[in-house]
Amino acid sequence: MVALTERGLRDFDWQTAVLAILISFFGVWQIHNAVPSENYWSKQIFGIVVAFIAFVVVAFTDYRRLIDAAPIFYAFGLLLLFLVLTPLGVEINGQKAWVRLPLVGQFQPSEFVKIPTVLMLAKYFGARKSAVLTLREALIGGAIFAGPLALIMLEPDAGQAITYFPILAAMFFLSGIKIRYVIIGTVLAAVMVPTAYIVGVKTGKIKRYQQERILAIIDPDKVDPRGYGYHTIQSVITVGKGGISGIKGDPETSQSVLKFLPEPQTDFIFAVTAENTGFIGCVSLLLAYALLLSRMIASARQASDRAGMLVIMSVVCGLAFQIFMNVGMALGFLPVIGVPLPLMSAGLSAILSTFIAIGFVVSVRMRRFVN
Amino acid sequence: MKIYDHIQNLSARVGAIQVIAFVLLALLGARLYYLQIVNGEYYSDRAENQRIRLIPIPAPRGAIFDRKGRILVDSRPIYNVVISNDGLKHAAGADKVVDYSSGLRLEPQFVTERLSVLKKQNEFESLVLKENATIEDIAWVEAHSLEFPELRVELQPQRHYPLGTTLAHVLGYVGEISPKQLESEVYKEKGFRPGDIIGKGGLEQYYDEYLRGRPGYKKVIVDSRGRVQSELETVPPQSGQDLVTTIDLDLQMTAEDQLAKSVTKRGVVVAMDPNNGEILAMASAPSFDPNIFVKGASTPEGRKQIAEYWKDETRPLLNRAIQGRYPPGSTWKIPESVGALQEGAITVAHSNMLCGGGITIGNKLTRCMGNHGSPPLDTAITRSCDGYYYRLGLKMGIEGIIKMVETFGFDKRSGIDLPNEKVPQTPKTWMKYVVKHEGKWSDIRTVYASIGQDTVVVTPISMLRAVSSVGMRGKEYIPHFLKEFKPIAAVGEEGDPNYIPAREGFTFQHPEPNIIELQPAQWDLVLKGMWGVVNAGGTAGSIRIPGFDIAGKTGTAQVAEVGKDTGKNKDHSWFVSFAPAYKPEMSVIALIENSGFGAANAAPAVKAMYESYLSRRDGQQPATQEVAAR
Repeated sequence: MVALTERGLRDFDWQTAVLAILISFFGVWQIHNAVPSENYWSKQIFGIVVAFIAFVVVAFTDYRRLIDAAPIFYAFGLLLLFLVLTPLGVEINGQKAWVRLPLVGQFQPSEFVKIPTVLMLAKYFGARKSAVLTLREALIGGAIFAGPLALIMLEPDAGQAITYFPILAAMFFLSGIKIRYVIIGTVLAAVMVPTAYIVGVKTGKIKRYQQERILAIIDPDKVDPRGYGYHTIQSVITVGKGGISGIKGDPETSQSVLKFLPEPQTDFIFAVTAENTGFIGCVSLLLAYALLLSRMIASARQASDRAGMLVIMSVVCGLAFQIFMNVGMALGFLPVIGVPLPLMSAGLSAILSTFIAIGFVVSVRMRRFVN
Repeated sequence: MKIYDHIQNLSARVGAIQVIAFVLLALLGARLYYLQIVNGEYYSDRAENQRIRLIPIPAPRGAIFDRKGRILVDSRPIYNVVISNDGLKHAAGADKVVDYSSGLRLEPQFVTERLSVLKKQNEFESLVLKENATIEDIAWVEAHSLEFPELRVELQPQRHYPLGTTLAHVLGYVGEISPKQLESEVYKEKGFRPGDIIGKGGLEQYYDEYLRGRPGYKKVIVDSRGRVQSELETVPPQSGQDLVTTIDLDLQMTAEDQLAKSVTKRGVVVAMDPNNGEILAMASAPSFDPNIFVKGASTPEGRKQIAEYWKDETRPLLNRAIQGRYPPGSTWKIPESVGALQEGAITVAHSNMLCGGGITIGNKLTRCMGNHGSPPLDTAITRSCDGYYYRLGLKMGIEGIIKMVETFGFDKRSGIDLPNEKVPQTPKTWMKYVVKHEGKWSDIRTVYASIGQDTVVVTPISMLRAVSSVGMRGKEYIPHFLKEFKPIAAVGEEGDPNYIPAREGFTFQHPEPNIIELQPAQWDLVLKGMWGVVNAGGTAGSIRIPGFDIAGKTGTAQVAEVGKDTGKNKDHSWFVSFAPAYKPEMSVIALIENSGFGAANAAPAVKAMYESYLSRRDGQQPATQEVAAR
């Protein structure tokens, strides 16, 4: 571990840290805008403080030692996901995604287990020596990935499960998977997703409410505007209403305060941002994300080993994918699935796991010259 | 990057991920541009539309006064439980029916009806669910505001008829616009909506446009469940215009009183100023209580009572003065005399006709009440000689009688300012039908038509109007109730979008009277006959008022053939008049259904009206027509 010495502080990635903190406090402001009458925003500040401490601890810990210990974290992660399915699991809104433990309190394991999954995959793919991804390697990687994914699907939490895929995709892509497989995979996905949807609807495997979420993005006004289409319509109205620089004047009449916008402090925090800060605020936020991702990718390029590079890039892919899914949902062109907006959405589990993930990125960067 | 050397394109792959990430972010930016910059205004409007509601503030209707400023109709505030249709369109109604009906103690069927009306409304409108809410109802609504945010309690004006059954037919009543009316073009054009209160019958209907106010509204902000969060602005309603009628409440009370005291308690008394057509009193019995229509339409008991009104064989909802059609009997002889003089069937110098105790047409003898020799016109009127008129009618011919009908306007409505006036039926109406079915118009029908039977049925108002014109020596005015509509001030500042302009006051616009041409000497002859009816040993000598000469004519209209004319088939008793005979101030008609002789039943009611008039005319200062401040 690099001690908090003068050298350690000099090597510390201030740019990433400051960007992450800025975005998360911008998020606190929006959480307050979303529900001024509740204390979600103050809870979020508490979460950010805790998350930042965890971030510093991880950043100053040598990631290589943590990767070495990956199997232990991975096993522990699977145990946590299993606990969700036991009576210790807590059901909220028909989803059993939370677990309550003594002393720790209530949290969402699927948010955290991404990290051991990344570490485990990075350990495996970082150690391999072949130039091109072999079928055997792909199967072993897939098996590591399948464990947590299967447990999350049992909750069931499709939204969280989807956020795991970019991790595996990044691992395969950066482990020399042949470009033709990437193309075949992309084409297959483009064909299979609509086919699966149609087959699913015909066979009744896709439930009515899931169907409506899909239809809602095609024509929100046509789907029962008080049902699933409602979320999409209200989110789009909220975003559009923001205009260039956001609503001025009376915050009492905002879409979230009047409860037209559902889940404003979590899933639809971007719509709140759009309403309050307008196009200028939203584009600034997207630019901040772009800057953060660029900085991380730059760190990946300088990583001293393959495993470090893989850790960073899977974090980058995971974050980029979540941002796209969440904002795309708020802007009404992706289906409503419960994916939080990284660093913005209220929720201690999400903010903590995101900061830990960024902590790993910084840890890799700080050790780029150590070899 | 040496560690990646063995995989040639790793740096490019990292770069590819970076590019993809940026492209996705740019895509989001483009979508944001489309939603916020291109369509920002549109979504801003949509957001505003869904959070802003206009809650209507009903406007009080104008009050109705008598000619001396006494209140006939006003409005008083009551509490109503109002339901708004926000969100209800999509909610299942069935469970709400149970909740509302038990909570507000309403009939489930009634609640179901109301909800179906509500569904026909535009979104975000509301409807009265329970009128006259009690303290318990209000408490229930307040206590369940979270559960049923669509319910609210409002203070709204309700029409009140302090006189009850008095003058009910003239005033009419108000009620919610009916689904049928809503579908008609006339109402659609004026922008009526379900739940609107409109005049139904009487002056309330005829002058609805002026009596009705313009509703105001409260602009409020609501949340997604329709709960009011704050008020933005209040636009006050504009009350309807106050109506001052020509009614003299004292005379009206006398008229009602006379009908109440009559033998059958069914009939009509109407008093009019023959100089301009102002109706001073109009009573029709039996009557109804308009308050029941206003307050009872939403309660089971009220609805039952309304249904009973409709079923009642004595037809209390009928305004007999304008909707009842009766054979006029001998009152018909007055217009007929004028017609005969006008057409030259008789002259002032040679007006004598044989009575003969009756007339034989074919082998059938139609009797006169007595044998009057060969009287002149005035005597024929005074004594009501049927034989005279049988022959006069035959001399005029049915064409002559029809011409007289047209001269007096018996083939048209009188034009009174009340809805649903009936047109009298005369030989003009029946001519085509009779000729078609009987081949020709027979003399016996002409004989009957000349004494106001058979093919002749008239409304009391048409007879009063015609006879009044005789008193006026040929000036026939349109009877009316409107004296004045009071002006009402504007609401708001001019130029303000919510500005409601002032409404000007106005009075009844008198058209030129219908002129009936006759020589002065001819008028004198008819008037002499009518004067004699009361003052020179005529058929109504019993009602003479010394110093106030009534000119009139009795009528006994046969309902059934002689011999069957008893009980409910007894003759209708008429008396039509004006006084003083040579400078009329008031004309009065009375009809008592199935009571027998005109002189015995209708004439005393008319006398009471003149006495009532005189008691206030003499020793009273000129009537001030100030309207009491409301």
